[in-house]
Amino acid sequence: MNPLTRREVLRQASAGFGYLAFAGLSTLEASRAMAFQDSENLKHPLAPKSPHFAASAKRVIFLCMQGGPSHVDTFDYKPELTSDAGKTGRGGNRKLMPSPWKFQQQGEGGLWISELFPELSKQADHLCLIRSMHCDQPIHPRAMTQMHTGNAQFVRPSLGAWTLYGLGSENESLPGFIALNPQPTGSQNYGSAFLPAVYQGTKVGRASGRRFGMNRGQETQTSVPDLSNPRVSRQAQRHQIDLIQSLNQQKLRRDGVDPNVEGIIESYELAFRMQDTLPELMAIEGETEKTLSMYGIGDGETDAFGRQCLMARRFIEAGVRFVELTHGNWDHHQRLRDQLPTNCREIDKPIAGLLADLEQRGLLQDTLVVWGGEFGRTPDAQNGDGRDHNHKGYTTWMAGGGVRGGFSYGATDEHGGEAIENKCHIHDWHATMLHLLGLDHEQLTYRYAGRNFRLTDVYGTVVREILA
Amino acid sequence: MTRLVIAAWTVVALVTWTSSATQGDEGEPPLSVDQIQFFESKIRPALIEHCYRCHSADGSSIRGGLAVDSRDGLLAGGESGSAIVPENLDESLLWNAITYQDLRMPPGGRMPQTVIDDFKTWIEMGAPDPRARTGVVIHSKVTAEDIEQGKQFWSFRPPVQKDIPESAGLDWADSTIDRWVADGWREAGTIPAADCEPESLVRRLTFDLVGLPPTPLQQQAFLTTSKRDIDKAIADLVDELLEQPQFGERWGRHWLDIARYAESSGKESDSTFPHAWRYRNYVIRSFNQDKPYNRFVMEQVAGDLLPAADDAQWNEHLIATGFLALGPKSLTEQNPRQFQADLVDEQVDTLSRVVLGVSVGCARCHDHKFDPIPQSDYYAMAGIFQSTQTLYGGSRSLRNRQPSDLIALPSADRDSAQKPLTRTELDALRQELKEREAQLVEARRAQRAGTRPEGTPTSNGNPRAANPVLNAALLDQLISQLNARIQSVDGQGKPISFCMGVQDASQARNARLLVRGEIEQPAQEVPRGFLQVLTNAPVSLPKNGSGRLELARWLASSDNPLTARVMVNRIWQHLIGQGIVREPDNFGASGPSPTHPELLDHLAIEFMENGWSIKRMVRSIVQSRVYRLASTYDEQRFNADPENRALARGNAKRLDAEAIRDAMLSVSGQLEMSPPKASLIASFGSAPIGPNGPMTLPPGLISALNSTKSTAGTTDDGASMMRSAMRTGGRNPNVNVFEIVNYHRSVYLPIARNSLPRVLDAFDFAEPSLVVGVRETSNTAEQALYMLNNPFVLEMSDSLARRLVQHTQDPRERVVQAFRLVYGREPTSHEMAAVQQFFRKATGETKANKREELVFLLLSQLCQSLFSSAEFRILN
Repeated sequence: MNPLTRREVLRQASAGFGYLAFAGLSTLEASRAMAFQDSENLKHPLAPKSPHFAASAKRVIFLCMQGGPSHVDTFDYKPELTSDAGKTGRGGNRKLMPSPWKFQQQGEGGLWISELFPELSKQADHLCLIRSMHCDQPIHPRAMTQMHTGNAQFVRPSLGAWTLYGLGSENESLPGFIALNPQPTGSQNYGSAFLPAVYQGTKVGRASGRRFGMNRGQETQTSVPDLSNPRVSRQAQRHQIDLIQSLNQQKLRRDGVDPNVEGIIESYELAFRMQDTLPELMAIEGETEKTLSMYGIGDGETDAFGRQCLMARRFIEAGVRFVELTHGNWDHHQRLRDQLPTNCREIDKPIAGLLADLEQRGLLQDTLVVWGGEFGRTPDAQNGDGRDHNHKGYTTWMAGGGVRGGFSYGATDEHGGEAIENKCHIHDWHATMLHLLGLDHEQLTYRYAGRNFRLTDVYGTVVREILA
Repeated sequence: MTRLVIAAWTVVALVTWTSSATQGDEGEPPLSVDQIQFFESKIRPALIEHCYRCHSADGSSIRGGLAVDSRDGLLAGGESGSAIVPENLDESLLWNAITYQDLRMPPGGRMPQTVIDDFKTWIEMGAPDPRARTGVVIHSKVTAEDIEQGKQFWSFRPPVQKDIPESAGLDWADSTIDRWVADGWREAGTIPAADCEPESLVRRLTFDLVGLPPTPLQQQAFLTTSKRDIDKAIADLVDELLEQPQFGERWGRHWLDIARYAESSGKESDSTFPHAWRYRNYVIRSFNQDKPYNRFVMEQVAGDLLPAADDAQWNEHLIATGFLALGPKSLTEQNPRQFQADLVDEQVDTLSRVVLGVSVGCARCHDHKFDPIPQSDYYAMAGIFQSTQTLYGGSRSLRNRQPSDLIALPSADRDSAQKPLTRTELDALRQELKEREAQLVEARRAQRAGTRPEGTPTSNGNPRAANPVLNAALLDQLISQLNARIQSVDGQGKPISFCMGVQDASQARNARLLVRGEIEQPAQEVPRGFLQVLTNAPVSLPKNGSGRLELARWLASSDNPLTARVMVNRIWQHLIGQGIVREPDNFGASGPSPTHPELLDHLAIEFMENGWSIKRMVRSIVQSRVYRLASTYDEQRFNADPENRALARGNAKRLDAEAIRDAMLSVSGQLEMSPPKASLIASFGSAPIGPNGPMTLPPGLISALNSTKSTAGTTDDGASMMRSAMRTGGRNPNVNVFEIVNYHRSVYLPIARNSLPRVLDAFDFAEPSLVVGVRETSNTAEQALYMLNNPFVLEMSDSLARRLVQHTQDPRERVVQAFRLVYGREPTSHEMAAVQQFFRKATGETKANKREELVFLLLSQLCQSLFSSAEFRILN
């Protein structure tokens, strides 16, 4: 194939945008693409790709609850925990502690949800509870890593990176995978590991180590490193980029063909656009009063997470493939009674607002919203009224994007200690999410170190029951 | 010489190596009928009744990592150590627990006294346990025949020097290398590209050999000589470059990529490895000394077991073994056996891929899918490392549940980053440690009781201050820090020079094959050994050593078909831009076959015959004519061979992150050529690392917490204050210590696995938790943002602009000089025009008080533009 034609193809296929923008193509790969005339390989690595089969979800918002939210006090109603209060639990010598909160059936589907989530309860018919989750890791960081990458032992690509690798991005001015308010020490949970770096998550909102979720009631801190120049105006920088591009174009002319130079040229254009689009998207003040209050923005407790949720919608709307949000402090080893309600209040209205807003904009039907922590908590008490880690049974939920709303899948034992019915391992959970995105978890592979790797390793079964 | 005894061991929370954990099955006397009966009637029922619920695979959990439903489980024990040491009541933790000494099991109440007496009798009679006799044996699907056949695979056969076809490349070639490459063109009917211009060649040579642009002097000399005699110009420059200490910095970094070098544990807690830098410097030194490669490998695998002529050499040998110790680690893993299995796995996998280009790690759970490597081969190698203690340091805390000792160097080195402590300071630290430990006991007690601790200072009426869980966590962290600090010095307060590394365990033992790699499912014992497909006779290793020395000798032997091939392929790849085997860590059946097999063998043999000299190999390759081929695009040549398999043209190379940063420093005149003292991370001591630096508690924080009100509006007991203090160590939270500008070469930048310096992160640095033989080269917007806006780039641009202003008054000459310094050539007229246009447009947009200031700002922007451009980043 004539390389000039190839470049024309690239330009045309990208509808005006240089798709070499993020070109992770090495010279070798690019030349392979030319040699094999493979139309898939011709595209740059972030070009939108067709899924393996018809997808019900096109994008993901992952609400990550760090610390392990107690399922028996929120989404897993256990009347026997109340009747067996004070008895010794299965796990050892601790006493069972009933949930201090009332549960009620909500929506047409009649999902049992605790009174801690009054707003979210109104969205119950969108929720698909998975009440039989389990994973292999009993401690936070490892469980968190398994939740994100499927594997706690080795450094592996994260769910977001796999999604982006599988589907590409739909916005040429934004990263395809954004991690809002990421955990300070969880780099690998947003990383691309052996996948090309273009697939890794771009972290937004941890200004120099300060997590904006922590600064309750304060102005939200958002930052992406090196997003603005302290010295020159936008116009002056444009002139400078023009100079850089002129030098690059002249080099390209001298060299004839060089995908690396083309990639560099596009990277400056994208960077220049990102400097505008990212701050614009993060500046939520332009939204209507009504929208802001839907998310609880402006109210002390809900402000911080509300902003994140609204930003997530704006990113998704702009074509970002995968947005992850983090809300911390769910590790209630003690004083659950005092602290869990605060956590729940902080997210209840923002998430309810997000679901309602996505729906009214027609986005919920093809946006998969996922909520969950790295594990749940024990039915028995610890340190007075605390609960310990529990990776053997807990609840996550999904909404939108082709899942069955108002539905509950699987079950834990009578006290909520262990998943026993329709157990859903983290690999199954991953397989299901990829399936909703139109990706076969067994086909989505990447060759590294002589073998094909996948998110689910050699495991994972799609939970078909929760598909709408 | 006789081996000296390791000078000192720290007492940093010793991990117990269960040296007595497994008895070999062979050679044990059979159990008597009485013994079996005793176990079956007294012990097994008691274990089932009292222990199984929490300590068996079928029970609700395996608490504390202890499983009592197999003999191996009992002997190996759990987190705390061996549950049973036959004939030794005091050492048997199970005895300790059931008699309610330190441990208390079962938790609900003691077993009946008669049962306890039975356990006593049983342990004293040697804990006869018939259960393992019916152990699982896993039979490999890889037959002896498969292995014999496997030996015929090209890379498992010894390299052979083939005769070059007589006429091959005679009209073109300068060397044997050239003739082999030219032979390939003949077959393909390709015409080679021209030699590249001397301006390009001199850049290739300096960047490839020392990772820096040519100095104006080097360039001048090269261009002048090359007009007369290109071969001499190359030879002279290569002589010069190979002798520069920057050669080791450049080539050492290539090795560090595959040695997955880093200065922190990575994974969840990312704790510092404050002594890792000694290994980094060892690698750099070794490349500079041109240490024979086989020697280099031996030192890293078994330096501790090699004879040493003096303390300096002994230091060197011990530091070398850091290679095995500095892999990523899950320090929060609670089960020591799991931790140990993962650690050994990482060592086996890294070593085999780095040195042999074969991934043995695949065989941990099942036979290798592609290569004739049965699962038992993995455990044969694992046994060697299970018989080895890996020493990486750390201080016990909730974030580090698996600390280990370190190796104290026989002679202290001068580069230590640590300050000595006075006697008074040391005593004060010890006193504080004592007090904090006492407080922690109280806090833990209060935590268990769910009440406020008594005796810990409370409050000033602030109820939040006395949160027992928080106090315990804080105290735990503080104690860990105090311990680390105290143990970093000797009794006189003088810093001890430690290194990471390995030592043979007190007892060598074979590994048990694990079913599906699961530690709870041991099958048969596998004799320690190497890969069968790479050995001709069965290996017998000494009973009283790990076998690591023998492994090292085997790896470093000229008879090993892979070691030399894999290394020359790496050297070739760094110089030519692509390996002869394109996946340099995968010489197995699933890897690509070599593009030039005869050349690869020729290089491997030459390498070994020349005493495994890396410098000689580098010289041979860069003095070949192949190295000189221009990378200029030619449609016909390109279409004939898009992947450039036949090497009829040069490969353009993207500079790596270090070269980009170092070149900016060099061109702007800011580069500090001397290495820094130790490393930034060494100065953190033992600490977890957060995004902006070490997460240590500033002294006095606890009392502050107890006496001041926590941040307004929070209900989390000052937890956020603690977290923020932990994250920043009391420093300004907005300053990221990894981004503080320094002017040393990039190889000395701090490498914390989870918090890489931005320039490395943006420009495809080798992921430091993985073996990376080939770095990615992506072109991302993040890189563009870095070049456009990062303060370091702005500073370098200013420095270069200052150089230009000092160089001349002539505005035009300043621009020309900028091109010379950054690109190594004069600007074209088109480029001059573009620069002039930029100056015109930018003048209106630039605020300046004086003309000089305006000129300077514009010049600085020009310099930045040159740094940002493709030509600066791409080596043609």
